[in-house]
Amino acid sequence: MFLLSRKTIMFRAHMSVTRIWQLIEKRMMSCISVHGKLPGLQRAVGEVRRKSSFRQSPLLTATPVRALIDEQISIKGRFLSQNYPVTVCAQMHSEEGDLWEAFAHYTTNASGSINLTSDHSVGGSYVGCEPMGLFWALEPALGSREGLSLRKRNVETPYMVNISLLEGHTSPSEGQRTELAAVTTERWYMVPGVRRIEIRQNNIVGTLFLPPGPGPFPAMLDLWGEGGGLFEYRSALFASRGFASLSVAYMGHKDLPGPPHIMSVGDSYFKSAFQLLQDHCQVDADRIGVIGLSFGVVLTFRIATRSGFKPSCLICINGAVGSPLLDEDGKIKMSESDQKYWELDDRGYVSFKNVSLPDNLPPESKQKVENITCPLMCIVGEDDLCAASTENADLIEEALRSAGKSHQFTRLSYPGAGHLIEPPYTPCARASLWRAKPEKLFALWGGHPAPHAAAQEDAWKRILEFMETHLRR
Amino acid sequence: MTQAVPPILSVTPSRALVDEKFQVLVENLPPGCPVTLRSLHRSEDEDDWEAYGHYVSDHRGVVSVSEDLSFGGMYTGKEPMGLLWSMRPVPGSRKGLRLRKINVCTPMLVNISVHSGHEGFRDRTPLASALAERWYMAPGVKRIDINKQGVQGTLFIPPGPGPFPALLDMWGGGAGLLEYRSALLASRGYVSFSLDYLRSEHLSADVEFKYFETAFNIIRNHPQVIPDRVGILGSSLGSMVAFNLTAYSTIIKPRCIVCISSNHYHPPGTTLKAGFKILSNRTNDLSKINCPMLLVNGCDDQNWPTVETVARLLREGGKEHLLSRLAYPGAGHLIEPPFSPHFRATKFIILNSKEKVILLWGGHTKPHSDAQEDSWRKILSFLQLHLYHSPSVKANL
Repeated sequence: MFLLSRKTIMFRAHMSVTRIWQLIEKRMMSCISVHGKLPGLQRAVGEVRRKSSFRQSPLLTATPVRALIDEQISIKGRFLSQNYPVTVCAQMHSEEGDLWEAFAHYTTNASGSINLTSDHSVGGSYVGCEPMGLFWALEPALGSREGLSLRKRNVETPYMVNISLLEGHTSPSEGQRTELAAVTTERWYMVPGVRRIEIRQNNIVGTLFLPPGPGPFPAMLDLWGEGGGLFEYRSALFASRGFASLSVAYMGHKDLPGPPHIMSVGDSYFKSAFQLLQDHCQVDADRIGVIGLSFGVVLTFRIATRSGFKPSCLICINGAVGSPLLDEDGKIKMSESDQKYWELDDRGYVSFKNVSLPDNLPPESKQKVENITCPLMCIVGEDDLCAASTENADLIEEALRSAGKSHQFTRLSYPGAGHLIEPPYTPCARASLWRAKPEKLFALWGGHPAPHAAAQEDAWKRILEFMETHLRR
Repeated sequence: MTQAVPPILSVTPSRALVDEKFQVLVENLPPGCPVTLRSLHRSEDEDDWEAYGHYVSDHRGVVSVSEDLSFGGMYTGKEPMGLLWSMRPVPGSRKGLRLRKINVCTPMLVNISVHSGHEGFRDRTPLASALAERWYMAPGVKRIDINKQGVQGTLFIPPGPGPFPALLDMWGGGAGLLEYRSALLASRGYVSFSLDYLRSEHLSADVEFKYFETAFNIIRNHPQVIPDRVGILGSSLGSMVAFNLTAYSTIIKPRCIVCISSNHYHPPGTTLKAGFKILSNRTNDLSKINCPMLLVNGCDDQNWPTVETVARLLREGGKEHLLSRLAYPGAGHLIEPPFSPHFRATKFIILNSKEKVILLWGGHTKPHSDAQEDSWRKILSFLQLHLYHSPSVKANL
């Protein structure tokens, strides 16, 4: 800060509003009145103001400001200069404390507005007209740890995402940038009234989500992949859409028996889980479906063909008809014996795809999918590097066709999409940390951000429609 | 096949600001089925408030509150938000209740349920239910208690760097410090200061001009406020203060003012503190106003003769071009943010005598609720025009 005269004082760029205010309060600059356009002050030194002299108070709005994860948010900026370059930036902290960011470059129209639902991004984390691009294009900020993924553990609280409007075409990592306006959005996995119930009975480790109201409700059994743990967010969303949903852990959970990287439970475990849903007084016992992702797909087929239960519908995402790891009772018989099929890239990241190629699967491990009696939806990411999804889907389709059951089969195939096809508007990781012990292993999932995001959006919509059709009528 | 799937009730959005509409939809009913939609809310004072409407499903088994007609209950006709604004205390409640949210950091929870049949629906368990959250504060809005230079109140600041246009928000008598309108205004992009000028023990009986001028300057000098874009919004007694401040203060110059249920006539005694000497001796002179002014009145206002006095103001002339007027037939005195229930008369404690009475505010529910919805939209539009997007530009630097 330096004095030109008693009346005129110039401020260095980077001097914050708070500092200026503190100086005023300390009466070091008692003869000053602070102009309203503080961002303008910050750039007063040595730079010609690009725009006109009229005072702006930009307004940034997001609607709805509290939304479910799978809802579209409409972001608009108003009262800006006309035909002016701006950057819209989204920032949030994951539960682990990592900073995730996305940004896009827009130009305001002749009225000084931007509308992300209709305008095109000309640069940044995504290009083109992408109303939800700021959410699915989120990436860990520069300098973050390797192989991060964004998967919410506590579904009872929202993600707080800060959306800001910056002057010019810039990026979050570029340092000095003038923030014109900001808005905070909350993104929820649960609607109010959904009940989350921890299940630790009949040896089952899981979480049950019930929609609000008396019920009875149609239900889903929610099965995840071999990475283990208990992921609740898909079930929370199902309950928010009116379906009871039970997510179970079968590996890598402290409440399960046996070591964490081995599956110590077998077919009877999943039978108990299905039975629990059937027996629940708020679940409609005749309307229960099963959804599986990755390794969960094999488990889904085992339930449908061996358990004696008759699910109303099945949804299989990027999985295989069998696994070399499972024995007759559905328990893991050996670990890592499939390593001969692992392919490592030059970073040491592993693709498991060849493990599940039909030709590499032991014949006795393949489930008899032709015996299923209900509708089946197969979702395939064509760039899946973790499972041979396309090849297995071909096999399933052929098996059902031979059994005269083509009418039960629906396939959704997405070019450019990877392995983890999850609820929409969440970022996709092309690779992430899969296991930390006995040593760190990064798995390749495949998928490119824009096509993967499109796949998630479309698949989710169709999954919900499929559930409506087969579980509500 | 076993029993039919129960109906599905959805409220979209399930989390919204209080001035936003929601859609209530019931699906999977038999066609032509009579049902009752009911809302239930437990207030902070532990009273239960409810509303209900009787509907009949269409040929697809769907009832849409936004599109279908209610045939009876607390409201009739096509009323998307009827389940909120027609709420009354449940039978058996105490008399003269008023629904106001005091803690604005938490949402209002409303349980919406669908029951079969019309008569005696309460005796049956609901077929389905959903929970809606109605918020006064958007995420990121900051709430700050102010006790500075003798001035008390609560300040709400929108998220973002600012600087923002701002408002001095003043209520009337008998309500204590109400924060919800300021919280809502901050959620719409204005720094808003809800000023406590009647209740606090620290304030002497002589609440003078200086108090309000200091409050205005506190807002004006806040680093996140644009100093020449500060307006005043007042309702009831607060609007009288707003008007007098704008007309007679030599220190402050609001950019625009909004007066809701304003009184430009001084009735003897009753609700005014004795110390408003300065204000009560002057006659109201429209020619002293130099900024745009919006007057909002309910024609069925039973508390103050607002309509009659505004008419007199207009006759005095001189500055009509600055004045915008909204007058609503059938609306009462308490014109509040939309979709909140209407109170024709509620309990009230008279300031000077501490007497407990039931005060008649006036208005009839349906026209009053329409007035609340329409006036809020127009107030926001007026504020946006004068505080965000002003045609009068000033040179900078």
